[in-house]
Amino acid sequence: MHRIISLIYKDFIVDWRQQNPITGILLYLASTIFATYMAFKGFVSVEVWNALFWIILLFTSINAISKSFIQEERRSHYYFFLCKPSEIILAKLICSFLYLFTISFVSLLIYVILMGNPITNYPLFMLNLILGCIGLSSAFTMVSSIAFRTTNRSIMMAVLGFPVIIPVLILSISNSFKILDSYVFTQIQGNIITLFSVDVIIIALTFVLFPFTWRS
Amino acid sequence: MGYLLKKDWWKWLCVVLLTYTVIGGLLLPVPKLPILNETIRALHFHVPMWFGMILLFLGSVIHAIKHLRTGEIKYDIYSFQLANMGIAFGVLGILTGMIWANFTWGEPWSNDPKQNASAISLLIYLAYFVLRGSIQDEQQRNRISAVFNIFAFFLMIPLLFILPRMSDSLHPGNGGNPGFNAYDLDSNLRKVFYLAVIGWTLLGYWLTTIAIRLSLTKQKLEDA
Repeated sequence: MHRIISLIYKDFIVDWRQQNPITGILLYLASTIFATYMAFKGFVSVEVWNALFWIILLFTSINAISKSFIQEERRSHYYFFLCKPSEIILAKLICSFLYLFTISFVSLLIYVILMGNPITNYPLFMLNLILGCIGLSSAFTMVSSIAFRTTNRSIMMAVLGFPVIIPVLILSISNSFKILDSYVFTQIQGNIITLFSVDVIIIALTFVLFPFTWRS
Repeated sequence: MGYLLKKDWWKWLCVVLLTYTVIGGLLLPVPKLPILNETIRALHFHVPMWFGMILLFLGSVIHAIKHLRTGEIKYDIYSFQLANMGIAFGVLGILTGMIWANFTWGEPWSNDPKQNASAISLLIYLAYFVLRGSIQDEQQRNRISAVFNIFAFFLMIPLLFILPRMSDSLHPGNGGNPGFNAYDLDSNLRKVFYLAVIGWTLLGYWLTTIAIRLSLTKQKLEDA
């Protein structure tokens, strides 16, 4: 257990020391949202607001999480002898979830300021956002560990990641639209549970399959 | 799998079933329905493609798991060729579906959830081929692509079978539309349909065994 904590701690320390990637992502986020704001100013319906928010989150998360294994290139030999693959992937999953959750929170903040705020039911919206973030972060972490082994990583990340993430994306976009359309929890219970079970499938597969990508 | 590679009774079965499907599917009486008319015969040629695709992908995943457990190259070849043939069936399924939709829905592609889901599942498997192309080391390529194969297959299941049911779809059997069971009052369609599914799947499997034998032979020649 303390190994997992120290692995997570190490990831944060690395991010803090380098600062380059994290500022890069935040700027990426800010400029994407600003470009969207300039393009759509004045005629955004709730439907478009919602779809744009998730699309921005999708593109930011694929960029943010693709680094999670790629930055480990030179260090992977040390871990190989120090930790079990299951510990490494658990640490990575937690880490990328925290990372993506922070990003989604910041992006929601900027987005609401620029594009207006149609959210009324905050707890339910946040619940759906968290479930969506779990799905996005864990699927992209797994895809990143696969893309890490290929020759053209950034393209493979998109090619492998986008089709795989679509179930999570469709579910969270439709849930979030229904929440903005003032549905209550009991009406979309089924969809939330489906989203949660897709998350569970992704995490379970990641646990089973990660040791095979790691061992080489 | 080794047993079926050597025996050939099922190949004769496949020929007989497909001859019956083509003749019976085009000539036997079908229920007369508005809009559908004679296009209901697409049932024998379109739906079996998806059955075939899912079964071939399932076979591919099973061999990917075997490859991860044993590390034998043989299983990687099985898995790759089964996925290859699955893609071919998927493309045929989309094309036959588009022809059918052109007559009944008025346009070949109408942004239907079922159509989108099947297009995405093909994208997933095309990504699998790109992935295989972009890893140099052979052993690593086999293992990583097996991992992606398993990961993608289990995410394709909710895409194909759960999501289209949750939104409105025009496709028969989804979104409150009746499937063919409701139309098939005198069981004339069933007489052909079930045999057609078996026949087309056997054809896909037959083609795959040829491709597998070819790549196994190539492998042997390279090693020698």
